[in-house]
Amino acid sequence: MPLEVRNIVAGYTKEVPILRDVDLTAQDGLVTVILGPNGAGKSTLLKTIYGYIRPQEGEVRHDGTSLAGYKPKDMLREGIAYLIQGHSIFPRMTVSENLELGAWIMRDDRQRMAEAFEEVYERFPRLKEKRTEPAGVLSGGERRMLEIARLTMTRPKTLLLDEPSVGLMPRLVDSIYEEIEKLKAARYTILMVDQNVKKSIEIADYVYSLQLGQNAHEGEKHAFEQRLNEIVKEWI
Amino acid sequence: MDYSMLLEPGILAQVLSQGLVRGSMYALMASGLSLIFGIMGVKNFAHGELFMLGTYVMFFALAVLGLPFPLGILLAAVVLFFVGMGIERTLIETLRKRAGRDWLLDAFVLTIGMMVVLQNLAQIVFGSDRRGVTGLIEGTFVSGSIVISYERIMIVCVAALVGVLLWAFLAFTNFGKAIRATSQDPDAAQTLGIDIARIYTLTFGIGAALAGLAGALLISIYPAYPTVGFQPVIKSIACVILGGLGYVPGAIVAALLLGVIEAYSVFFMASGWQNVLTAGLVVLILIFRPAGLFNSAKVERA
Repeated sequence: MPLEVRNIVAGYTKEVPILRDVDLTAQDGLVTVILGPNGAGKSTLLKTIYGYIRPQEGEVRHDGTSLAGYKPKDMLREGIAYLIQGHSIFPRMTVSENLELGAWIMRDDRQRMAEAFEEVYERFPRLKEKRTEPAGVLSGGERRMLEIARLTMTRPKTLLLDEPSVGLMPRLVDSIYEEIEKLKAARYTILMVDQNVKKSIEIADYVYSLQLGQNAHEGEKHAFEQRLNEIVKEWI
Repeated sequence: MDYSMLLEPGILAQVLSQGLVRGSMYALMASGLSLIFGIMGVKNFAHGELFMLGTYVMFFALAVLGLPFPLGILLAAVVLFFVGMGIERTLIETLRKRAGRDWLLDAFVLTIGMMVVLQNLAQIVFGSDRRGVTGLIEGTFVSGSIVISYERIMIVCVAALVGVLLWAFLAFTNFGKAIRATSQDPDAAQTLGIDIARIYTLTFGIGAALAGLAGALLISIYPAYPTVGFQPVIKSIACVILGGLGYVPGAIVAALLLGVIEAYSVFFMASGWQNVLTAGLVVLILIFRPAGLFNSAKVERA
């Protein structure tokens, strides 16, 4: 069952809602991308889905369960992982401690924990090499890798990615998109916001665009690609 | 003043041991303060009153309940752990939830209020008498001209043991790791399923337990009375600044240093100079190394 956002009205204060009736669906195993100009409410939408902001109206459902009243700490147990904007590693903890914390919700299950570590080190040999080093000494690309590895320790169903390629140099942008491609191949449900419009549409299955906190356009990747120029013009 | 006395082993040991005893107390206090500041951003000005409550628990444990010394210390730590968690849950968390982004300033004012209320409550309930217990551990260690009481040795050893336990807890246990993660990036910690409200409560409880333990441990030097916490909290705030705000190991080293410096200043100058020295050191550090004596990558929060 998909991640459904139904008629959400939300914001930081009651008087000025940033999201005004947003409605979208992230289908299982597909990559859904949200586009829009600055201030359209993309990041606010992800924060609202994850329980940081309580919607004034509307509802988020995941796998058929309403997430009303859920807090951020409850979401991973519901199978939703969230890559927050900017750096989110713990710089003064080792790489392996960072990964361990990624598996916080299953900390008592030693077997699953060991399996998760084995798998993640197989996927990211670089992280295995550096497992005893503080995460703060990693390069920008390695940090992102660690963040993605940490995100998937508990094998969640759905991933929310907020600007995964922001602030990275072009070569690293390619490698982060390769990683997202792998996550897509592993059938994660992905809902993503990224400032790199071209690359994010390339990887998308379905695209939404928001404007001033409301749904503007939506469509399958190909339909969207054709209209992209005119849509981007509207933003300016 | 005959400074050659500095080199006499008997005097050196005497003053040094005095300094380390003081330093141990400052270290217990400052590590709790620094932990709370590093993780929650709260400057707990009521930390001295938690020390004061520790001295009262210890007094009642020994004089009324007749418990042995180690059990008294344990009791003070446990009681203050729960008192600390209660304070966090009822007062600080309420503030954090309601006041939004500016809540830290509110929390600062709240802790000053708590200081006043707790001091006056103690005054009403217990009166202003000093309730002390002396002669808990008799005997002295003698070697040549070096004479140190066993009590001092015990105080320093217990403080060191507690320091090691605290370090091991933060370094190796699941909750210790979650505490460190929360201090480095609370938003990221939440996305991993860590209940940061619980982490804050636990942290405040641990900080309070350390203060209570310090009060209990030093009952023979600082008897229980309502304002006994004032000197310890002022000095431990100085240690937190000297060691780098929120950096626990720095605060501990600064505490031991300050204890020894004060002991020497009492011995070689008049005892009034110790506060001048402490304040002077803080001013110098704030001017020349505002991030603390041990600043490096750990500047933000440890």
